[in-house]
Amino acid sequence: MQESEFSADHLDVLKELMNIAMGNATASIADLLQAFGTMHIPYISVSDMNGLKSFIEETIPSNQHYYVTKQLFGGMFGGEFIFVMTDKSAANLGNYLYDITTPEEEDILDAVIELTNILSATIISRLTEELNIKVQFFVPSTEVMSGNALIGVEETLNYHKIIIVSTQMVFQSQNVSGYIFILTKGEMIERLRTLIDQKLEELYA
Amino acid sequence: MKVLVVDDSKLARLSLIKTLKEYEPSAQIFEGENGAVGVELFKIEHPRIVFLDLTMPVMDGYEALKLIMEMDPKAQVVVVSADIQTQAQERVLQLGAKLMVPKPINSDKMLGVLQQLVF
Repeated sequence: MQESEFSADHLDVLKELMNIAMGNATASIADLLQAFGTMHIPYISVSDMNGLKSFIEETIPSNQHYYVTKQLFGGMFGGEFIFVMTDKSAANLGNYLYDITTPEEEDILDAVIELTNILSATIISRLTEELNIKVQFFVPSTEVMSGNALIGVEETLNYHKIIIVSTQMVFQSQNVSGYIFILTKGEMIERLRTLIDQKLEELYA
Repeated sequence: MKVLVVDDSKLARLSLIKTLKEYEPSAQIFEGENGAVGVELFKIEHPRIVFLDLTMPVMDGYEALKLIMEMDPKAQVVVVSADIQTQAQERVLQLGAKLMVPKPINSDKMLGVLQQLVF
C-alpha cells in the first residue's frame, strides 16, 4: 500500500468521520465528568514505522510518565486504540471521579480504564457505524511507562505501513487531558480505503 | 436563496449541499473552509442561511459566529457540529445561532432546519 493510494479525499473523509466520533466521545466523557471538553481537529496521516516514531516523539514529551491503555479491535476493520495520559492527569481524573485528594494507584488505574473504555467504545463504534460495519473489542490493558518507553514498545512499532489517527481530549477545568491514537495496518488499510470509497460513491451518486 | 456553508471538511460541505439541494435545488451556494473565509463571504454575499461548523482551523465556529452576529444580529446561523455537548449548544445559542444540528446532517435534519427558517 503506497501513501499516494490514499488520496486527499480519503484522508478528508477519515478526518470528518473521526471528528464526528470524537464529538460523541467528548459528550460521553463530559457526562461522566460533568464538565465541558474542548474538541481538537484530528490529525490523520499514512505513514511507516519511522513516521510513527517521529510523530510520537513530537507529540508525547519523553521526560514524563504516562498511563498507556491499549485495546485491539477487529472485524471488517481492525486496529489498535491507544489512549495516553500523563500520570498527573490520571491522578487528577482519579481525584475528580472518586472525590479523594490523594487517590490510591488502584483507584487511578480504575479511573483511567473506565475513561478509556468509554472513549474507545464510543469512538470506534461511531467511526465504524459511519462506515456501515461492526467491530469486536478485545480486553484492554493499561501500564505506566515513560515517554521514551512508549516509543520503544515493540508491538506499537511493529507496523510496516500504518494510518495514524490522532487527537486530544482536554477537560481544562479538571486538568484532565489525553492523547488518542488509532493505528491500523496492512490489509485493514486496504479495507478502510474500500469502505471510504463506498462512502464517497454514495456522496457523489 | 443564498446559502453559505462553512466547514473545513470537503466531505461535510458536499454532504450538506447535496442534502440541501434535495429541498432547495436552486439555492446559490457559497463555501468556506474556515471561519475567517466564512466571515468574509458573509460580509460580501449576505446569505439567507449560514451553516457553520465549530471545530475548524484558522478561525473556529464560535469566533466566526460572534463576528457574523456583530455584523448582522438578524443573521440566520445554523451550527452543524460533531460537538454534541450541552454546554456547546448553550454557548452557540447564547452567541445568536438559531439552531444547532449534530453531525452528520441528513434529509430529516435538513428538512427540520428549512421548515423552521425558510418554508
